Amino acid sequence: MKHTRIVGAAATIATAALVLSGCSGSGGGGGDDDTLRLWHYESDTSAMGIAWAEAIKVFEEETGAKVEFEEKSFEQIRSTASQVLNSDEAPDLLEYNKGNATAGLLSSQGLLSNLDEVVADHGWDDQLSPSLQTTAKYDENGIMGSGSWYGVPNYGEFVEVYYNKDAFAAAGLEVPTTLDEFEDVLQAFADQGVTPLSESAAEYPLGQLWYQLALSKADRSFVDDYQLYTGDVDWEGDEISYATETIKDWTDKGYISTDASGLKAEDAGVSFINGDAPIFFSGSWWHNRFSTEIDGFEWGTFLFPGAEMSPGSAGNMWVIPERAQNKELAAEFIDITMRPEIQALIGNNGGVPVAADPADITDEKSAELIANFNALTDRDGIAFYPDWPTPTFYDELNAGLQELVNGTKSPAEVQQQLGEQYQAGVDDIVG
Amino acid sequence: MSAVLDEATATLDASVEEPKPARPGRGGSRRKTAGDWIVLLVAILLGLLIAVPFLLILVNSFKSPADYNTSGPLTLPTSLYFDGITAFWERVDFPQKLGNSVFISGLVAVFAVLLSMLNAFALGIGRVKGRLWIVVVILLANMLPQEVLLYPLYFMFKEVGLYDSQWAVIIIFTVIQSAFGTYLLASVYGTFPKELLEAASLDGASRWQILWRVVYPISRPTLSVLLIFFFIWTWNEFLIPLTFLVSNDTQTVPVAITVLQGDRLMDVTTTSASALLGLIPTLVFFLIFQRTLTRGITAGAVK
Repeated sequence: MKHTRIVGAAATIATAALVLSGCSGSGGGGGDDDTLRLWHYESDTSAMGIAWAEAIKVFEEETGAKVEFEEKSFEQIRSTASQVLNSDEAPDLLEYNKGNATAGLLSSQGLLSNLDEVVADHGWDDQLSPSLQTTAKYDENGIMGSGSWYGVPNYGEFVEVYYNKDAFAAAGLEVPTTLDEFEDVLQAFADQGVTPLSESAAEYPLGQLWYQLALSKADRSFVDDYQLYTGDVDWEGDEISYATETIKDWTDKGYISTDASGLKAEDAGVSFINGDAPIFFSGSWWHNRFSTEIDGFEWGTFLFPGAEMSPGSAGNMWVIPERAQNKELAAEFIDITMRPEIQALIGNNGGVPVAADPADITDEKSAELIANFNALTDRDGIAFYPDWPTPTFYDELNAGLQELVNGTKSPAEVQQQLGEQYQAGVDDIVG
Repeated sequence: MSAVLDEATATLDASVEEPKPARPGRGGSRRKTAGDWIVLLVAILLGLLIAVPFLLILVNSFKSPADYNTSGPLTLPTSLYFDGITAFWERVDFPQKLGNSVFISGLVAVFAVLLSMLNAFALGIGRVKGRLWIVVVILLANMLPQEVLLYPLYFMFKEVGLYDSQWAVIIIFTVIQSAFGTYLLASVYGTFPKELLEAASLDGASRWQILWRVVYPISRPTLSVLLIFFFIWTWNEFLIPLTFLVSNDTQTVPVAITVLQGDRLMDVTTTSASALLGLIPTLVFFLIFQRTLTRGITAGAVK
């Protein structure tokens, strides 16, 4: 009997692999008393990655314990957390996504430790402003905003206006301070034949602009109704009508390109980076990338003019699994990440710290970013994101706005459709 | 890529011209007809269409982020930039992930082919009673979406202590791949020439000997094709490895690639580079064994 070449070759490869990878079977598991198993998904060059690497160093020096760190992918934690945290492989501390569908769900399943006592002991509740605490607390049904602490946010994020200083200067324009002035700026660029706003309706940017426009007419009780289901949202009311009609109006006037309906966030960001569009309304998560990748022009940021509130929230947060082996060590580590020097590292590397001393921020652009964020939190202006209330609203909102920008539906039709989809989703959750 | 294309065109030409000897009366000396050219053109267009995403990955892997920002995804890089590839290589410890992927896919391919052959021998040649239903039940493993299997598998493997182990993935895919293999081989073996089997048993061969000395050598081309498919399919699997391989040092290449995907931002050039690195091994594997593939999946008639 002749040996098959192929099967033989494959067998050789398999054997070689066996030898190469040795006994790399299951790793981790059973905990040492002085080992902290830590997972997060920030790259080592990002603001949080740099700050937390320093926190690991400080932690090891001060406690003498060892940190066993693994960089996970966002995707892996998002889709497998409920399985991992329910097994012996659960780490002692991990970065996890805030929100009803993620941290809320796991807390209601009993997979996350209740942090009420630890938070009170360390005084973290004094360091975090109220609107940042919203995403850290969940009630027994896993709905955010009230109940017990299940997570501790370490950084924040919010949406602001990025603008091309050179283009503004060339057109003789100033930074607008009211919504009317902002429209004048947009008109000035449109008159020159430039589409001023870099937008994307296939992903989150246009949805956030729509929400921001609604916020410019709204107060805190509208946000509570919309986000925390404390009351009914009037989808024919001033706030939402203004938002939907303004998007339509701006599209008709050429402030927003009708091409936006097919563009992704990446496309919109790139068109700001390469100078095609002078204004980009999006999140602080772009800040680091703009700092490193824009070199053709000067740019700056300002909060959306004429609005008390803007989309934003605390960032993803530290959670301690119920099955963690070393909960005390985990709490100590969180405490280190809340210290001013670690928070300052987040701030100086393009992130938005939640508890930094503004005096520690030496980088000029970062200082501007953090000043904007602090201005927002000081006036209780963090309003979360439009897609949060229901699991399917992100896609529904994008689809609705695409139809609005395309001109296939009128503003009234779009907001009626969105209202029905929103209500159906909320009814499923509240019951 | 062009080698593959040529091969495809060559096979196509061969199959287009094949009927000639069978029908010598109808214009045997005719050259290619307009129809042949259209078929060829369609094949080339299809080939190009399939190649486009690959070419995009290739172009963007060697671009610097600045280059990408100014010129977009469709242009050629202004200068070759290898930082994306090295950054990804070092960040995920690529050789280790490559070893894991080869280890898992290689073992699954060998085990699944072996299991398929044994199953199919019983079902196709042994003609077990109710074999149609057995095949249908086995095929369920293939037909159910993996999302449905995920939770039951998770609880089963957690109970036996194989959660976070490469063996969990190897066992699962051996079963899933051999389901398809059993189905295919059982129908191939169902048409296996009886004379050969009878001759073998007349010579006093046991069932075991019939399997290894008659059936195996004759169906070897089909088995090789299955082996290659199983290897590539397992290599590209994502959801189950993502769920079962918790520790970083057990993970496969496709799982490692997701490290680059953030909450909101994506890094196009590094992601391209990682996709290229993930794709090269399967491409190399395919190019080495492509002759076997083109030999056809149901080959194995009497020699």
